[in-house]
Amino acid sequence: MEAHLTIAIYFIYVCLVLIGIGIALLFFMKIRHIRIQRKKEFYLQKHQDYFKFIQLHLNGVSALPLPPGSLTKLERRVIQEKSIEWIEQLKGDLREKLITLCQDAGFVQDDIKLLDSLFYGRRIAAAYRLGGMRSAEAVPRLLSMMEQEKYSALTIVLARAISKSAERGDQLKEMLHHLLRHGKPIHNMAADIIMETRLDASRILVKLLEDENSDFVKVALAAMWGQAIPEVVPALDRLVVAEEKDVRAEAVKLYLSSNPVLKDETIRDLMSDSDWEVRATVAKSLGTMHAAGSIPLLRTALQDANWWVRNNSAESLALLGETGFEVLCQIAKHGSGVEREIALYHIERTMLQDGDHQKLDQMVAYNKKKLLYERYFGVSESTKVRQVAAVGGDYTA
Amino acid sequence: MTVNIIYFSIMAFSFRNIMTIFRRAAFSKFNTLSGSELVPSISLLVPAYNEELTVIENVKCLMTLNYPTYEVIVINDGSSDDTLEVLRNEFGLEPLPNPEMRNSIDCQPVNAVYYNPQYPHLYVIDKPNGGKADSLNAGINLSHYPLISSIDADSLLEKDALIRMARMYMENPEETVAIGGDVRIANGCHIENGAVKEVSLPRKMWPMFQAVEYLKAFLGGRIGWSSINGLIIVSGAFGLFRKDYVIAVGGYRGGYPGEDMNIIIKLHRYMLENKLKYRIAFCPEAVCWTQAPDSYRILSNQRKRWGRGNLKNMIENYDMAFKPKYKVMGLLTMPYNIIFEALNPYFKITGLLALIGYTVIDMTHWRILLVFGLVNILSGYLLSIGALLLEELAFKRFNKVSDLARMMLYSALKFFGYAQLGGLWRIQGHIQYLRNNNSWGTMTRQSWKSDNGNTKSA
Repeated sequence: MEAHLTIAIYFIYVCLVLIGIGIALLFFMKIRHIRIQRKKEFYLQKHQDYFKFIQLHLNGVSALPLPPGSLTKLERRVIQEKSIEWIEQLKGDLREKLITLCQDAGFVQDDIKLLDSLFYGRRIAAAYRLGGMRSAEAVPRLLSMMEQEKYSALTIVLARAISKSAERGDQLKEMLHHLLRHGKPIHNMAADIIMETRLDASRILVKLLEDENSDFVKVALAAMWGQAIPEVVPALDRLVVAEEKDVRAEAVKLYLSSNPVLKDETIRDLMSDSDWEVRATVAKSLGTMHAAGSIPLLRTALQDANWWVRNNSAESLALLGETGFEVLCQIAKHGSGVEREIALYHIERTMLQDGDHQKLDQMVAYNKKKLLYERYFGVSESTKVRQVAAVGGDYTA
Repeated sequence: MTVNIIYFSIMAFSFRNIMTIFRRAAFSKFNTLSGSELVPSISLLVPAYNEELTVIENVKCLMTLNYPTYEVIVINDGSSDDTLEVLRNEFGLEPLPNPEMRNSIDCQPVNAVYYNPQYPHLYVIDKPNGGKADSLNAGINLSHYPLISSIDADSLLEKDALIRMARMYMENPEETVAIGGDVRIANGCHIENGAVKEVSLPRKMWPMFQAVEYLKAFLGGRIGWSSINGLIIVSGAFGLFRKDYVIAVGGYRGGYPGEDMNIIIKLHRYMLENKLKYRIAFCPEAVCWTQAPDSYRILSNQRKRWGRGNLKNMIENYDMAFKPKYKVMGLLTMPYNIIFEALNPYFKITGLLALIGYTVIDMTHWRILLVFGLVNILSGYLLSIGALLLEELAFKRFNKVSDLARMMLYSALKFFGYAQLGGLWRIQGHIQYLRNNNSWGTMTRQSWKSDNGNTKSA
């Protein structure tokens, strides 16, 4: 018992010492933080006129100076942070001028030196700021940092800094290589990072699309989403039949977003693809492409095992004029199971959405659908809400 | 001593990770990501039971998050007050004639789904009272997106909380099955337009105790547990989940409280039994502010409920304990939770009684009682100081020295009454469980507009 008691007493002493150190540290950190915040606010106020001067002379020919007189370390940091904030917001010549200011003021050199600091925290903070200042000269050093880095959230910080600062396409490609070598499927994140570049993104993406590395292709496909670049159509022609299903799905999405003319045979093949994402994407695009010839395919797809395919098919049928809408009404009236559920939902959605039209042609189209609706379900619209018994298993996300 | 070793080890893991968390939060800007199509779409599920005072403010807060594509699904769980009516009036909602419920998970039949095309991303499900788990399952059945986020209707999300979580998800989308957010106490904060404008500590005693308790649990505990993939709970107030896996484990378990812990245990079990690589992460920089109970009665009800839920989860899943196939969950998390969380009050009471007994029999042993009492208090206080250090290193949410002093004071005071009450409430919760008393208990809501100070019992 005595031995236990002695250990317990020693433990108490250790706790007391650690508590004392902890409390002292807490007060020290809190007071220091408050002091730095106050000083920063003071410097921001002090240099208000300087910041106004910078804003006024961003369009001028001469280089931007630092404020006159000697500056403390914190004062320089406040000016640097303000400059980075503006660099993020501005583009073109105005941004270039601020980048030059950061170089002339020595902010870039200071942070490049910090990349060799013994402390990891200082290195990563410097990398972040160098990215903010679009420092091309820091890129080789940042790339070697990334090469040695284990994958973590901070790898993303480094990748963004490189993407912002790179002045050549091969540097971006090297950054992507380091980012994706850990085998994580982070293509969307990588696409977001690559779009931060100052370089001509479309040219880089076209090159990535042609690359042998399927990860690069996936990044390019993700990054191109929503952009119609005519040069990529030949590459997409090849990728829509790619073996890797992720690549195929993304390529189909992109391909269809450029409103291509599709052969019936191609549509049939895509609608029977083994990947639900491909089927869902094609089903969605058939409505917006007004591909009335594909109504039988969409009708069959209402029984697809995947909810998104069924949903997109019904949505497209509702968009394909009276014929498509009538197919939905027929299924809602005479069909059963999941196809009837989805048809009913989209009929009511169409009736709800189409009620308020400004244009004559929209009104005419709506009235035609309304007539069809009344033919199948009667004039007095049933607004009775069904009790939806939620039992069963559709396991698609 | 064993429990102290575990506590300090978990705290050490938290310290090991805290600077990465700080840098991740400080060096990430979301100006591109929050407007990007590349970010995954999320369905926010908001179960609401008698929330008429707070629900409008909360829904407005949720509808203005910095996030590109998401939908808000409020589930009115058979409220006896005007929760549904205030929502319908505020947003002009009408019943959808044929709501598309995807029937992925069993749940009670819903009465109606309300919708207004002018708010295309807002749905309100009205259903008979079936509990929080049943409401979440109904929300999942209506949800349209691959990620779901459960959010309490009495909580306020910070504007970039969701994008911070999504960023964490995007860093490792294949393995991430759930992410928990940091829950902080909003009592005492200045709230404007559904957002916390000025952070301050609660003025009342009970919320103040909870504020330091939450800080210790979330920063001192969950950061450490998540770093070894042993997190057993993602707070029901704010968490993000992969919908496909939630459906694969059968959704939320109803009938008992503690559904937030239960879903995480089920996810661990499912992933480990199917030998799938996974992680359940914690994102302390994604913050959700919640109203803490501010009276003894409500707080005790909440803690008894937690005690019941915890016991039920431990009984349901005791088979995972000490099984190497469940890795950290089996070898550390479950044994720790069974022995040092569920049964903790019994050990404390028996230990204390034994020491008092020795002392009464032989008064010369008073020193032993004093020493072991001090060990208990000082080790606990050291952990609280550790949690405050973590807060100060990474977040610095509280700006005044007086706030720090108050937190230190309450961290010490909680060992003289509040901690013992915690044990008592847990035992009472266990008794309720054994008696099959499964009521939710009284909960009071207070309007976020503190100037009018409306309160209401639920």
